[in-house]
Amino acid sequence: MTTVTFTHISKTYPKADAPVLDDFSLEVQSGELVSLLGPSGIGKSTLLKLIAGIEKPDGGKILFDGESILSIAPNQREAVFMFQKAYLFPFLSVGENIAFGLKVKGFSPEERQRKVAEMLDLIGLPGIENRRPNELSGGEQQRVALARSLVIRPKVLLLDEPFNSLDRPVRLNLQEAVRNIQRELGITTILVTHDLDEAMAMSDRMALMMGGKVAAVDKPNILFQRPPCMETAKFVGVETFIEGVASSGTFVSAEWGELKIEDADKNGRAVYAIRPEHIRIQKEKCENALAGVVKNCIYRGAQIEMQIVLGERVLRAHLPAKNEILPAGEPVQVILPKEHLFIVR
Amino acid sequence: MKKLLIWIALLAPLLTLGLFALSKGWFYPEPFPAQLTPEAFSRLISDTRTLKAIIDSLLLAVLVSLLSLIIGYPAARAIGTQDFPAKKYVWLAIFLPTVVPPLAIGMGMSILALQTGLSGTPFGIILAHIVPTLPYTVFTLAGVFARYDENYEYQALALGASPTRIFFAITLHLLAPGLAVAGLFAFLISWSQYLLTLLVGGGRVLTLPVLLFSAVSGGNPTTISALSLLFLAPPVLIIAATARFLGENPNSVHERI
Repeated sequence: MTTVTFTHISKTYPKADAPVLDDFSLEVQSGELVSLLGPSGIGKSTLLKLIAGIEKPDGGKILFDGESILSIAPNQREAVFMFQKAYLFPFLSVGENIAFGLKVKGFSPEERQRKVAEMLDLIGLPGIENRRPNELSGGEQQRVALARSLVIRPKVLLLDEPFNSLDRPVRLNLQEAVRNIQRELGITTILVTHDLDEAMAMSDRMALMMGGKVAAVDKPNILFQRPPCMETAKFVGVETFIEGVASSGTFVSAEWGELKIEDADKNGRAVYAIRPEHIRIQKEKCENALAGVVKNCIYRGAQIEMQIVLGERVLRAHLPAKNEILPAGEPVQVILPKEHLFIVR
Repeated sequence: MKKLLIWIALLAPLLTLGLFALSKGWFYPEPFPAQLTPEAFSRLISDTRTLKAIIDSLLLAVLVSLLSLIIGYPAARAIGTQDFPAKKYVWLAIFLPTVVPPLAIGMGMSILALQTGLSGTPFGIILAHIVPTLPYTVFTLAGVFARYDENYEYQALALGASPTRIFFAITLHLLAPGLAVAGLFAFLISWSQYLLTLLVGGGRVLTLPVLLFSAVSGGNPTTISALSLLFLAPPVLIIAATARFLGENPNSVHERI
């Protein structure tokens, strides 16, 4: 049970122009799974390396339960890694791989054997102690890597895109397994990923990283529905942004006309946004309706993606699959329900 | 057919050597020796000077290989895994001994050995042999390190292993094939080293190549052939064993999911 705190971490790699981490602060509660989400090259993996002691920060502190770990030797920090590749030691059997950390800590052979068997049960691969890593599939290797990391009961588990190289069914299966095991053992976990679905499915909280710092951190459903700024909104899939002036419950935009909004006390220039799933399409006029013409309709199985031309712009709406597919050129009303319009600037 | 030709090309010189070594009184125009006898071998093996030369050469080559690996490892690791300023010039400095004519290096080293009192000592010879072996060990190991994934070591580190433990329990195992090849290079270069042994040894250290050269100037084909075969045997055996070992343990460093 460990709380991990980052305070004002900064890190610039030699020869790089810009810092990868710039005043990065975040607190991960004990037993919580927090994912760091952001485009590649944003310093997510660097952060894990700082915790593990592979890299050193230029400034700032990393605390485990309030105590700085930066002066502790990397092999004494009890923060374990799981990478994209399993990195099982190819010259050891599965059992010996899992027992590696126990052997280092001086557990007796009987204890090692017992704990290895326990872990293999936990990861759902009982009885494979004597197999060689190269006899296992990619998903199995990752499970064994997880077992090897968790058998020493680390303070923190660091997951660096561990599911990336796996096929989709294996990936989903492993995501669920890792999440369940993490909950069961209550290990504080930091997951680095660029996959929004993965982050949402696994995390207690998601931290969106932009420009070397945390742009937003919250529960997945809140960040997904109500991203606090334009960059984060774009990252979670919002495409429709409306610039205009708000005054007492009305929002006037040069391009979109007049819309009703929920926050009545907002006045002045603002940008509002709406998720593509929240846009409604119908024939009849009502509040916040705009007249448009269907440009294209793409059937995606779970939903229908409809592109509608509104004056000079094209708007994309994701409609439930039960809607009918409309032919191009069909005039429709686009509804932007006021309860779904949220401010991003 | 092509395979047969290759085998003939490979084996014909060896067979000729063998025939010469076993012959007695083989004169022109006889197509085959009048008498086959292992006399030359038994004479060589019962000769303490030859035996000592074989043992000394083996010891020397093994020591030189080990030292080359130990000295070359850090350099190769830095060159293979890291980027640092002036890397090119470091490469050049390491490679210089292979570019400069051996005689030029040899004369210089001979003088240096005389001045420092290392001339004719085993330690002096070992140092002299490391000069030509080191570039090859560094070169081979740098190639291995360029493909080496340090994440294996980070995993061990995160699991609590100390750097020393990581080196012996993880790194050495992962690098074993590469180390074997690099060590083999050093062994072969040291084993066949004549000039440096002669110049720095001052004629007081007799290795197999030195004996072979003096036998060649002696001009007895039977002795020369027998000595040559003795000279060939250890490298051939070692290469065969290494090839077998590498075949059984394909370089684990390239292993991917």
